[in-house]
Amino acid sequence: MVATANSSQTAAGAEGRSPSASARGAYEWILLVVAGLFGIVSIWFVGTIIWQSASTFKSQGLYLLTGANWVPGAGTGLPSQYGGRAMIFGTIETSLIAMVIAVVIGTGTSLAINFFVPQKMKTFVATVVELLAAVPSVVYGVWGMLVLAPWFMNTVGPFLSSIPGGTAVLGTTVAGKSLLLAGLVLAVMVLPTYVAISREVIGAVPHELVEASLSLGATRWQTLWKTVLPTARIGLFGASSLALGRAIGETVAVSLVCGGVVGTTFKPLEPGVTIAGWIATQWGEAVGSDQIGALFALGAILMVVSLAMSVFSRRLVARQRRAAAVV
Amino acid sequence: MNENMVNMMNALEDQAIVDPRTGPIAMRLNKVSVAFNGRVAVRDVTFDVPANNVTALIGPSGSGKTTLLRSLNRLHDLTKGAKVSGQILLGDDDVYGGAIPATVLRSRIGMVFQRPNPFPTMSLYDNVVSGLRFNGVKKKSILDAAAEESLRAAALWDEIKDRLKAHGSTLSGGQQQRLCIARALAVEPEVLLMDEPTSALDPIATQKIEELISQLKSRVTIVIVTHNMQQAARVSDLTAFLLMGEDRAGEQIEVAPTLKLFSQPDDPRTMDYIQGRFG
Repeated sequence: MVATANSSQTAAGAEGRSPSASARGAYEWILLVVAGLFGIVSIWFVGTIIWQSASTFKSQGLYLLTGANWVPGAGTGLPSQYGGRAMIFGTIETSLIAMVIAVVIGTGTSLAINFFVPQKMKTFVATVVELLAAVPSVVYGVWGMLVLAPWFMNTVGPFLSSIPGGTAVLGTTVAGKSLLLAGLVLAVMVLPTYVAISREVIGAVPHELVEASLSLGATRWQTLWKTVLPTARIGLFGASSLALGRAIGETVAVSLVCGGVVGTTFKPLEPGVTIAGWIATQWGEAVGSDQIGALFALGAILMVVSLAMSVFSRRLVARQRRAAAVV
Repeated sequence: MNENMVNMMNALEDQAIVDPRTGPIAMRLNKVSVAFNGRVAVRDVTFDVPANNVTALIGPSGSGKTTLLRSLNRLHDLTKGAKVSGQILLGDDDVYGGAIPATVLRSRIGMVFQRPNPFPTMSLYDNVVSGLRFNGVKKKSILDAAAEESLRAAALWDEIKDRLKAHGSTLSGGQQQRLCIARALAVEPEVLLMDEPTSALDPIATQKIEELISQLKSRVTIVIVTHNMQQAARVSDLTAFLLMGEDRAGEQIEVAPTLKLFSQPDDPRTMDYIQGRFG
């Protein structure tokens, strides 16, 4: 009885599921519409940014990239000056600081997780890392502002400035908030992302290569340095591109700890600004003036920089992959 | 028993049997056992490895051949929960005695693996000299000479001398395995361990490796694990036959000159195995 009921159900189900010509047509239509929507939104998005920033590009020209002053002219009778040098430098500097710290510490952590942490603890460590990667960036920002900034102001800053030549190279900090602190907070923020990926990349290095290396008389250190890391380098590069993408576009956390000053020296201990942070903090004042266009123009620059980096890293990965023919 | 084996064994019986262990000994195994997390995988293996000869470890899957081989160059050190007991001597040095660092020991005992494993990010040249570089050799003239010498010894020099800067992945499987042999030889080890070195290769590449093994024994002592009894009969001078015991630990059944083991084994289980009754 049961068998009969089942088989009749199956037959009915199969009949109901069999796609008729018109159903397939509708399915294709839905996909086309969805894909078309995506295309329209993309064009709309890029088009708006270009459209809104066009007047600034025209009025400021190269000054937008190299200029040091950001002075809206509204109400003063003077022409607006929108120089993006401080934001561009700030973005590059904080991202670089973040990447150096994150890649060094993150790669070491991933090697440790793969080769030195006992099997039982591995899952625990991996879970913690992945949880940290999911923490919203504003939390890192608040932590940086309330915990790290005072520490920078009272301890780290004075110490670094006291090193001979420290002030000349690094500057001095007043409130702790600085490009260096922003870079550090970014590093802490992107570390889990970097470790989550690099841990798997390093884990994917064939064990046979580790054994080959050791069987030639290599030390463990040599094996990690000369065999594991070179073999994993493509994946590690991918992990750092992703981390850099996160760092370069980070807004809230950075604007809480970078100091928010359009500086001219870019010394790490002094306050500064980044493109993303500046757009977010200036928005309120900009509405209704030509500053809106200038902020859009900064946004366009950030977009181009990110795009260029993405293309560059893809090319590099593809080229290395061809050269080494490793998958 | 297939006809080839019969012919081969008949041919073997006509020759005088010399035990290579009457000459110099490269390694001595004394009651060697390997356990993983308390579970014994190989128990109480005792035999001498004659210098400048080929010693084959044969036996069915699970008999502990590879496990035993990997204990000889302390490769189990990496595995958590692995414990090697008994004594292994390399010349007069105790492999597990602690007086010699594992890195020094492994440069004296080279290894070739089941699947060719050239370093994928290194050129052919860098692969061959990698062991020397690990051991601190930097001088280019020494590296160049060693690369050519060991590639010649591995019968690969003529095939790749014009493209030493290319990557290992551009070679065929058999060439890759000979590259790995050259890489191991460049460090000038006293003993070369080979773990089923032809199991991933086609018959022609296999034949080349077997010829190479016969040529190499004048410069290095070879211990080879093989599934293939014909291969053991063809290339080795001494054969150790292992079998999984009742508690699933590999045990040594018989160690004898290859000619003797394949023609007049002392143990009936050896006869059963070489006649293909199990395995």
